[in-house]
Amino acid sequence: MQGKPSKLGRLSIQLGLGIFGFWTLAPIAWLVVSSLMQQQALTATPPDFSPSAFTFQNYVEVMNSAAALGRGLANSLIVAVSTTAVALAVGAPAAYALARFQLPGSGPILLMILATQMFPGIVVAIPMFIVMSHLGLIDSRLGLVIVYLSFNLPIVIWILHGFFLAIPVGLERAAAVDGATTLQIFRLIVLPISWPPIFATAIFAFIESWNEFFFALILTRQNAQTVPLVISQFAGQYQTVFGQMMAAATMAVTPVVVIAIIFRQSIMKGFTEGMIKS
Amino acid sequence: MRKIIGTPASSLGRRDFLKQTALAGAALGPLAGLIAGSARPAWADTTEISVFAPLPPDPAPPGDAKFSQDALAAWEQAHSAKVNYEAVAWPQLHDKMATNFASGAHVWDVIYMSGWVPEFAKFLQPYAEKLSPDLVSDMPPSSFSTVKWQGKNYGAVFTLSLLTLFYNTEHFEKAGLTEPPKTWDDLKRYAKELTRDGHYGWVLNYGDPAGIGGVASYWMTYLQQAGGKMYGDDGMPVFNNEAGVDALQLMVDLYNNGTDPGSISYVGINDATNVMLSGKASMMMNWPFTWKPAQDPTQSKIAGKLGGAVLPAGPAGTASIDGTDAWTVSADAKNPDLCRQLVEFYLSPDVQKQQALQTGWLPIRLSMLADADVQKALPNAAVVLEQSKHPYDSFVTPDYNEVTQAIGTEIQKTLQGAKTAKQAIQECSDQVTAIVKKRG
Amino acid sequence: MAGITLQQRRRRFGVGALLPAVVIILAILAYPMAASLWLSLHHVELAGGAVAESFIGLANYAALLDDDSFRLAVSNSAYFSVCEVALVVGLGLGVALLLNHPLGRSGFFRVLLIIPWAIAPVANAVLWKWILNSNYGILNAILTELGLIDNYVTWLGTPGRALNMLLLVDVWKSIPFIALLLLAGLQKIPSMLYRAAWLDGANTWQQFRFITLPSLRTTLAIAIILQTLWSFKLFDLVYVLTRGGPADGTVLLNYLAYRETFNFLHIGSGAAVANVVFFISLILAIAYIRMLRPGGRKVPA
Repeated sequence: MQGKPSKLGRLSIQLGLGIFGFWTLAPIAWLVVSSLMQQQALTATPPDFSPSAFTFQNYVEVMNSAAALGRGLANSLIVAVSTTAVALAVGAPAAYALARFQLPGSGPILLMILATQMFPGIVVAIPMFIVMSHLGLIDSRLGLVIVYLSFNLPIVIWILHGFFLAIPVGLERAAAVDGATTLQIFRLIVLPISWPPIFATAIFAFIESWNEFFFALILTRQNAQTVPLVISQFAGQYQTVFGQMMAAATMAVTPVVVIAIIFRQSIMKGFTEGMIKS
Repeated sequence: MRKIIGTPASSLGRRDFLKQTALAGAALGPLAGLIAGSARPAWADTTEISVFAPLPPDPAPPGDAKFSQDALAAWEQAHSAKVNYEAVAWPQLHDKMATNFASGAHVWDVIYMSGWVPEFAKFLQPYAEKLSPDLVSDMPPSSFSTVKWQGKNYGAVFTLSLLTLFYNTEHFEKAGLTEPPKTWDDLKRYAKELTRDGHYGWVLNYGDPAGIGGVASYWMTYLQQAGGKMYGDDGMPVFNNEAGVDALQLMVDLYNNGTDPGSISYVGINDATNVMLSGKASMMMNWPFTWKPAQDPTQSKIAGKLGGAVLPAGPAGTASIDGTDAWTVSADAKNPDLCRQLVEFYLSPDVQKQQALQTGWLPIRLSMLADADVQKALPNAAVVLEQSKHPYDSFVTPDYNEVTQAIGTEIQKTLQGAKTAKQAIQECSDQVTAIVKKRG
Repeated sequence: MAGITLQQRRRRFGVGALLPAVVIILAILAYPMAASLWLSLHHVELAGGAVAESFIGLANYAALLDDDSFRLAVSNSAYFSVCEVALVVGLGLGVALLLNHPLGRSGFFRVLLIIPWAIAPVANAVLWKWILNSNYGILNAILTELGLIDNYVTWLGTPGRALNMLLLVDVWKSIPFIALLLLAGLQKIPSMLYRAAWLDGANTWQQFRFITLPSLRTTLAIAIILQTLWSFKLFDLVYVLTRGGPADGTVLLNYLAYRETFNFLHIGSGAAVANVVFFISLILAIAYIRMLRPGGRKVPA
């Protein structure tokens, strides 16, 4: 906005930014801080922040009692990467086709894709479970990869479709005139310039898969447990050591948050461009 | 074998050949047996048993919880079996079970149950009819009431888990109270008097309406103390009377005078237990397990200051409810006898004793409850035994989940003053009638 | 001549590229969705390892209309979604404006935008449950230290307060992402427009009303759609924070569907509730899409 920056104006902007910063950071800071505090310190009123209250014991306990956490991290990683890869491999060409070619039924198809985002996952849980158990895919990472496609694939198509719509057709036309096949155009021209949004979509799908809780709850047992399940297990029925719960939660969210921070430019740019153009 | 014999067959007569083979076989046979004996032979039949259980610190079997692991290994060896556990946090058990049963997939052989036997009876087999008489005679007969359905016995309860009163002896001293409350009036009075010095008289988890350990189940405790019961012989609700209303009124009176207001938001018992263990509340009802973490200085501020007593008596005396933690066997288990033997192992005297000493969960075996070591380590065992001499019905039916959800929700509304106890009980009765009728 | 074959080739490529995706979506989603619709028209009983169904038409849906829990869930969901969308988009716009200002250009704030979104909903729920703990929660401690409250408040203790807390937590988690979206939209507005307006004597507020808002129309619409749809899918938070209580005060439609299906094993009526959510969302989505594309597709073949 243009205008003479008044002192009051600057001050209020700074105040606003400050409030936003505090509001967003404070809970997360508390997550980490309380994970480093002892139960006795946390249950004092007010909480006891003296140096003796701080310890790494919570993390030690979490790592000791949960070989599951290590397995959970591994499973989450494998499942998230695989489902993202498949979603992209299948979804990018599909998005391109929907964007460029007047195919019969592409309107309803797009609508169907949007519709799939609206279904609360829990209702398809029982039919999906039945199918998965007939196929012997319960408690398997493959089963999770397939089930997660149900929300990753539509998202990939939706976002990339918007992005592909926005690319000027001229470049592709020129290549076509030069004799390139459609596949070549897609591979050699469209994909390279789409790298940022594709990457961003990949990160997005990865994170959604990593954080998914409900289907993981229903469809896994021991072997294919993912991280959100492990966190939820730290709230047993009879005891809550708050510091341990926070430690487990911290360990669970840190990988994803770090990835998100590192790749934030791509995520922000690619995703918003894709969403807006839709 | 041929290489060992060595000489070409043509230079030996057939007799010699056979003799030498036999000798070699005789020499090597025992050797092979020796090798095989110390490791499980590849050709022997190892039956796999899969067990579905809660995660510790909830009641968990050896192997899942860390006790009696050697005994389990020895049992596995002796029965050529391998026990695999799937353990989840307690609140997730019912959902997982429901999904699995609904899909028809066979996944588990031995399954932990807590109040769900009537609901899932169709998926279980009445293996408990074949339990060894020694075991059955060492168990309180009423422990089978929550695992029987339509005349068949589906499970074996493995821990004596009744709600009893826990109180802070230090708070009592400071308030000049020498004895635990014996009646409802005492309870109300004590709760009021003990609310001071930064602690409340009473705490309980009122946040979850349903299930055993939910609000409705607590009301059922008081209902029995008032001489009432849930269902008549026809399965219809019969609690819409003075007993039902008085029981709810007690909860309201307690809530308005002396209860930690956070109670309404404590969903699991652990939230309430934490309040107790940090010295912020003077009394609560809880499961026997509470004793052990209360004595642990890293978890509790009241180590050594916990007292246990039988629940205060209502008009009809004291009563409680049963945690009903039991082992059942699924209907399509491939080796039901082996599963039964595993359950008998879980309930064997030594395992039961270790269960008590190491995890704090009381044995169900009367002999182990009376065992000197157990009594010494868990003083509240005597209290629980005393409580077990009075009624403790959990009123488990196939609709237990839904019924307790409905009743619990009404109770929550009443506690918050949205309606009177009389209105609420009337409403509960109507809703439960509808639920029972829907089942047909 | 070449043009026609090009067309055909492109069309064939298009179908080939689209087909796998459509097949997968039909297989993984269409069947369960159809199955769920099917289930909602039946009375479903679990019987010895198998599921026994008896057709009852729309009886499940009719029963819902009479059900107190359902009606409460509808009103809870309506309140929740409307408030959440208003707060998230409104406050998100504010944040976006702040970050668009020269003072807010630092990367630090961009980092802040991405973190709440990246945290798993379950982890977020566990964290906030701890913050709102009525005995040891830091919120109570801080407010008491600041002298704003005398006694610790049971934040999740009454139905109204619990629902509002649910709102607070999900708004906290959702604002950054929507702000991000809106920020991208803001950055596309040419500064030339503002300069021209300023030269014409428009003040900040007028600039906002006549330049910013209209230019953001599409982006705002998208933000509203997304947030509405997401508000209907909320589950992890209710499950961990309140389990629908107290007194059904935080039961949202999605959670009700779960409870009917998994706690009471009323598979038919659980499916009915979920389908209700689905149809509501579908209608909303169609309405918004219509709003977005008034003229239909314009891309030539």
